[in-house]
Amino acid sequence: MTLPCNMPSGTVNVQVELFSMARLVCGRSFLALDLPCDATLADVAHALVRACPALRGLAITTDGTGLLESYALNLNGRVFVTDTGVHLQQGDTLLLFSSQAGG
Amino acid sequence: MFGYHGQVLRIDLSTQQRVWEPLEEQVLHRFIGGIGLGTNLMYTSCPPGVEPFDPANPLIFVGSPLVGTRLTTSSKFAVLTKSPLTGCIGDSLSSSFMATELKKTGCDALILTGRSPFPCLLVINDDVVEFLDATPYLGLSTTATEHEIKAHLGHRTRVACIGPAGERLVRYASITNDGGRQAARTGPGAVMGSKNLKAIAVRGTRPVPVFDAKALHAIGTNLTQRSLGPATEKYRTLGTLANVAVFNRLGTLPTYNFQRSTFDEIEQVSGEALHQNHFVTNAHCANCTIGCEKILVTTDNGPKAQGRMEYESAFALGSLVGVANANTVIRASTLCDELGLDTISAGVTIAWAMECFEKGLLTLKDTGGLALRFGNDAALLACLQLIGERRGLGDLLAEGSRRASQRLGRGTEAWAMHVKGLEMPGYEPRSLKTMALGLAVSTRGACHNRSSSYEADFSSRVDRFQADVERGRLTMEGEDFSAVLDSLIWCKFLRKAFRDLYAESAAIYEHVTGWSMTAAELRQAGERINTLKKLFNIREGWRREDDTLPPRVLTETLPTGVAQGVGLTRADLDMMIQGYYSARGWTAEGLIPEQKLRELDVWDIVCTR
Repeated sequence: MTLPCNMPSGTVNVQVELFSMARLVCGRSFLALDLPCDATLADVAHALVRACPALRGLAITTDGTGLLESYALNLNGRVFVTDTGVHLQQGDTLLLFSSQAGG
Repeated sequence: MFGYHGQVLRIDLSTQQRVWEPLEEQVLHRFIGGIGLGTNLMYTSCPPGVEPFDPANPLIFVGSPLVGTRLTTSSKFAVLTKSPLTGCIGDSLSSSFMATELKKTGCDALILTGRSPFPCLLVINDDVVEFLDATPYLGLSTTATEHEIKAHLGHRTRVACIGPAGERLVRYASITNDGGRQAARTGPGAVMGSKNLKAIAVRGTRPVPVFDAKALHAIGTNLTQRSLGPATEKYRTLGTLANVAVFNRLGTLPTYNFQRSTFDEIEQVSGEALHQNHFVTNAHCANCTIGCEKILVTTDNGPKAQGRMEYESAFALGSLVGVANANTVIRASTLCDELGLDTISAGVTIAWAMECFEKGLLTLKDTGGLALRFGNDAALLACLQLIGERRGLGDLLAEGSRRASQRLGRGTEAWAMHVKGLEMPGYEPRSLKTMALGLAVSTRGACHNRSSSYEADFSSRVDRFQADVERGRLTMEGEDFSAVLDSLIWCKFLRKAFRDLYAESAAIYEHVTGWSMTAAELRQAGERINTLKKLFNIREGWRREDDTLPPRVLTETLPTGVAQGVGLTRADLDMMIQGYYSARGWTAEGLIPEQKLRELDVWDIVCTR
């Protein structure tokens, strides 16, 4: 996902779909976040904790700058987000779920 | 000897002969225990070409050097036999007190052959082996069987038994122990039934000493702490049920017999919904600090059902058969457990039948009046009961999807979702290309656990919608990693708690046995075990064309969700398979060169059988 951001404000509104315990502790399935187009993983983590403080220590590191290894972020159901940047577009959806895949 | 007893107990159920045979150190060191040691014993004990229900087909229970050490998740055992579903090597794992008690009887493995002349309860109490009449237990559910035997022999007795499905040789029958733990995949319960063996009851008093208890305690304490951290968070909270909604969103949730990979009514049967509305408590295997088991209960006005529920059961008895009623899914899973059925094979076989019914290839006359449509809750439950008792349509479906489709014919083989006869697990291969390869080449048939290839797909390492030759190496590494886990035996849910599985496990192996083991040797043991499994299958008639996927996967694209339009061509699958053979050092036909067998130190085994 390397398309340039086309929003004049330089920010985009994205939806975050919550799964697993993240959904249960936040009490809802979706969060709406305003993020820079070139948001880093730290930007996303900060915004998630602001929107749902209960995510700190569950999915987000206690310093609020990254994901715990037990959680993964996926962009639009296609790309797993790494710490090299997210490259968001208006209307994107981020999925937050447990990273352990098996079962 | 430390960590091992150094002997197997071999029992012929036909003659009631029992022999304690020594196990050579070099065999133990090369094959570790669990699936590895069991594979060696299968290769050397199973007559080539034997039919799965022939009395000569061995049914082998194998412990491991870690059993009895109290290391977290180590109370596990393996069950191996020639599978009545696949005709290949059949290997399953189960857990809990049965593992520790069996080892305390004094054997590293129990090899059963023959067929009892009467319904048998085999009792092993250290050196004493008895063959009791199991007639009073015939027809009982797995829970009732265990309960009644314990009432008779004492509550410290550990029981592994079959339910009505195993008694009737349903080809995907399970063996159940410790109140619901199961060795189910590939149908070992059917082989147990073919031996006229209803249950095994064990008690032992002979623990095995470890070489360096102090060092083991230190490393074990540290591992326990890690087992309670982020690496196991999912398993400790929602358990594997957390997969349901995520897989749906990622377009990987098999639905309507793999016709789709998303389920419109997902919110009713998601792990989150099941947790909120049906959760009773967590349960643990013996010596496990994770506690992945979720006990769920029905909440409607129907008959109460309460039992373990995990992702594979939720998918196979939920989205795959179009059932969106959580109470029905719980009821169906519990019914499978009580009948002694593998939930995956049961659900996939019924899903095949539902598609046949909807396409008019099975009629109401065939089904005994059941409107076997997707989403028909009552038909699902009725069908499971028929299978467990091999009544009516159940007699056909008890054969599994491959045989049932071959028997019905008329093109229904095209949507029988199996590989080598083993029904597909809950991972849509078209949108998980590494998993597709893992399913196609597995020696066990369509198995997700012997390669864990999905790990790569659920990461940033690959594009899961695209095939490439590199998946061969990834799948090989996953298989060898899994073989080491399954031989030591660690629970797979602990795998992320290791910083370096091979190095840490090698050190633990040395502390337990006193024998030298390096990380490289352990890694090679994984390769050796997978190679010997393949050799077993080659000996039993494996052909290159058996490494494939169901026709549906290779001819239809996915119609919904984020994976809409995604498919998998035969050319892409063949390309990945060639990458896999190449990574393993095999020929283009999937055969194993003599040089590789010598390199892995299995040439001597091949030459003797």
